[in-house]
Amino acid sequence: MVLGLGLAHAQDAARSLTKDHVRTLASDRFEGRAAGTSGERRAADYIAAQLTRLGAKPLPGQRSLLAPFVFTAGSRDGGSRVGVTAGTAAAREFNGAGDVLALSFSDDGDISGQVVFAGYGIVVPEAQSLSYDSYAGLDVTGKLVLVLRYFPENADQATRAVLARYSDLRYKALAARQRGARGLLVVTGPTSPNAGTTIPMTFDTAIAGSGLSAASVSARVAQAILGDRSLDELQRALDTGNPHVAGMSTDSQVRLHTAVVRQRQTGRNVVAYFPATTSVADVERPWVALGAHYDHLGRGLGGNSLASRTDAGRPHLGADDNASGTAAVLAVAEQLSKRPRARHVLVGLWSAEEIGLIGSAAFVASGGLKPGEIAAYLNFDMVGRMVDNRLAVQATGTSGTWPALLEQVNVAAGFDLALQPDPYQPTDVASFNQAGVPSLSFTTGAHVDYHKPSDTADKINYEDLDRIVSLASSIVERVMAAPQAPVFAKVEQSQQTAGRTGLRVFTGTVPDYTAEAKGLLLGGVVGGGPAEQAGLQKGDLIVEIAGQTIANIYDYTYALELLKIGQPANVTYVRSGERRQTTLTPSARK
Amino acid sequence: MIRWCLGLCTLASVLASTVSGQAPTTQSSVEREFLSRVRRLTVEGRRAGEGYWAPNGQSLVFQSEREPGNPFYQIYRLNLATGTSTRMSPGLGKTTCAFINPVTDDVLFASTHHDASSKQQQDEELAFRASGKERRYAWDYDPEMELYVRSSATGTLRRLTNARGYDAEASYSPDGQWIAFSSTRDAYNRDLSAAEQKQLGVDPSYFGEIYLMRADADGTPPTRLTSVPGYDGGPFFSPDGTRIIWRRFDEAGLIADVWTMKLDGSDPRQITTFASMSWAPYFHPSGEYIFFASNKLGFENFEVFIVDADGRKEPVRVTYTDGFDGLPVPSPNGQQLAWTSSRGGGREGQIFLAQWNHERARAALAAAPARKAP
Repeated sequence: MVLGLGLAHAQDAARSLTKDHVRTLASDRFEGRAAGTSGERRAADYIAAQLTRLGAKPLPGQRSLLAPFVFTAGSRDGGSRVGVTAGTAAAREFNGAGDVLALSFSDDGDISGQVVFAGYGIVVPEAQSLSYDSYAGLDVTGKLVLVLRYFPENADQATRAVLARYSDLRYKALAARQRGARGLLVVTGPTSPNAGTTIPMTFDTAIAGSGLSAASVSARVAQAILGDRSLDELQRALDTGNPHVAGMSTDSQVRLHTAVVRQRQTGRNVVAYFPATTSVADVERPWVALGAHYDHLGRGLGGNSLASRTDAGRPHLGADDNASGTAAVLAVAEQLSKRPRARHVLVGLWSAEEIGLIGSAAFVASGGLKPGEIAAYLNFDMVGRMVDNRLAVQATGTSGTWPALLEQVNVAAGFDLALQPDPYQPTDVASFNQAGVPSLSFTTGAHVDYHKPSDTADKINYEDLDRIVSLASSIVERVMAAPQAPVFAKVEQSQQTAGRTGLRVFTGTVPDYTAEAKGLLLGGVVGGGPAEQAGLQKGDLIVEIAGQTIANIYDYTYALELLKIGQPANVTYVRSGERRQTTLTPSARK
Repeated sequence: MIRWCLGLCTLASVLASTVSGQAPTTQSSVEREFLSRVRRLTVEGRRAGEGYWAPNGQSLVFQSEREPGNPFYQIYRLNLATGTSTRMSPGLGKTTCAFINPVTDDVLFASTHHDASSKQQQDEELAFRASGKERRYAWDYDPEMELYVRSSATGTLRRLTNARGYDAEASYSPDGQWIAFSSTRDAYNRDLSAAEQKQLGVDPSYFGEIYLMRADADGTPPTRLTSVPGYDGGPFFSPDGTRIIWRRFDEAGLIADVWTMKLDGSDPRQITTFASMSWAPYFHPSGEYIFFASNKLGFENFEVFIVDADGRKEPVRVTYTDGFDGLPVPSPNGQQLAWTSSRGGGREGQIFLAQWNHERARAALAAAPARKAP
């Protein structure tokens, strides 16, 4: 029997360790593995069965490999309404999504009070070079504040650059609350994109309330509040960015009822371990962890899909994102399951990553295994589309051990490694960095099929995916064998990553996150999108957009905030060593 | 070791402003025709470079800044079978430009560790870096630099030179009997004119000349092979051992070209005429062509080129990646290329390795047009 297994394994040796897993997980059967759906459940069962086959055990104290957690899958309005009494006029009632919609972070309840119009509702912290305070000279204590969405449309670029940073709705809510306001009403001004309409409740999963009632209202409601002051004129006065254009009190009293229905769902992490084969009594941090998220976008209805109109609603199979990472973890586990282990090997396949790293954060917070017990965490997210032997390793700044160790193992593995010290990445490695675990995250980068139904198993580069598995196995082997665990180093979060606001423009560019080029290297362009219409293509390096020099992806996202929807922007890019110019016209991100 | 530092130091401040905004390029398909399966060899430390192969192709010596207490280069040997690197130099002071004896496997390099102020210099440099200030790295042609050889049999270190002046950039002949190196000793063993004295203060490399000495350092004085004003450095032997290839700077230290000569210094031939900084030449083991690096395309954009051994034709560009690509050294079997590149990100270089397409190189050289007259 043992002999038979050995022979079977020998015959399998030439086969890919990952291909079957990717093909299975990225098949129609799992319907795109959206967290909380039956497709996700079936995928979790498959993964658990595979781990059980390899001899993995539930964590100590657990009976199952499935670790459910509750998350907020989204929110909808539960019948918010607003009543406006302007001066001595009769009260007007507004309800319905066209006129009033709670903001997803609003408190529930009923409040009433006088309304103060506070311009764009932006407060720039004093440390900044630009002085801008929409609340200057206004007393809003105990009142409701009406503000415009976004930031002054016609301010010069430098001013917009600063204001864009502080124009996020949550930031505006924070500013209002800090000034003592009880409620916040937001209107999209007539000169802004999406003029006059209420703000759809986004797929905002944060549960924490903002400590005040907050709603978006239509231009009609705002005008009712403002009475004979024209919203259009008020916005035009503010749109120059002149910080001295004052807000004002209105004669209107408002009653605001906000109700947010948060949709709770249950997701499932799959967590297992392979016990050490020798005593860990004297081993420092006796666990090594491997992880990847296995959830994806389902049919892409949650807002993260980049599917073209013809593809919309089809299952997003997520072969690269992240069946590839899941398969890598299973394959590394398979290799390690047959070898001596001086530390326990934890295997975690996370769900609800796509909606905010929720599964991995739930695991870290669960206390089932203290982060202080984990010597290192290796994360895999989109590792199946290697091009030109390039492998990005992120979060290398989390321990001084990593560069030397990567050098040693890569001599045999032979990748063109690109190291990114920053652990504040949009993947589960961020959860472990937050918990003080020395971590690494592997990725082969974004591509044209990113977040589309076309991210399919036939496009995966299995040969190189298997090489990544070998590299990771050697890293785990070395961490297991070293008596001393890697020492965690805290990487300061750069202001650039910390201060990003939501993007409102759509350019249809797919950045190559693995590139370290001096500019923004395009991993692809979205079909039919503004970038494709501008003639940009995969491999182009954007070095300047709308007069802003682009040195990295942060500069780029930052520059995007300054673009105006429908207004052509000059783009300078490099193709085959040659500088070229084009014009890109951003459209609105829905 | 100017083989490397030249590029980014001595002249950087002079010309840097002229090429800002150099257009970055991504790896092109042309580069892939020559270099496939690009992989990164060194990862640890601030920078690494000057990788030179052992004759059996199983290890490389290189220099790297990677130890916490010493901000200067030390010499390491990377075992390609295990991935482990072992320090070959004493760990104190500055070192540069290692080379492996093809017969004895001993490791040759230049070092200042005998200088009593070594530790103090390390601490000062560390304090400077900790202060957050930045400056361009400046190779100082430390006159304390002397040649040492580390026995691979016993691990003991033997000093080979003992003359005031920078002795470095050394390499062995294929039979292991001779060492070619660059030295500024001429500036220290005679009375200098006022102009020369001033020159020594501004740019000591001006006095760099190529010397040849016996590898066993039996006491015979080294033979000086060059005597043209301007920095001569980075000498290596041709695979058949009959010629030396090196790089020669003009008097101003701005333009460098690749030259070859016989072992007695006769028959000097200029191989390149780019009127830019063409340096770090190294023969392919076939002897048919020469690798070198040049910033012909932009001051900080060094690329690797190849040219036929006699320089009859125009060089052919090999790398197409923005930033630094230089110090190309083919493996002993001629099928791989190790070189130093900043393609991993940032300004600093690390050593990369790729499969080398020899047949493609021969075809490209055969198709190259005749070299333009200088």
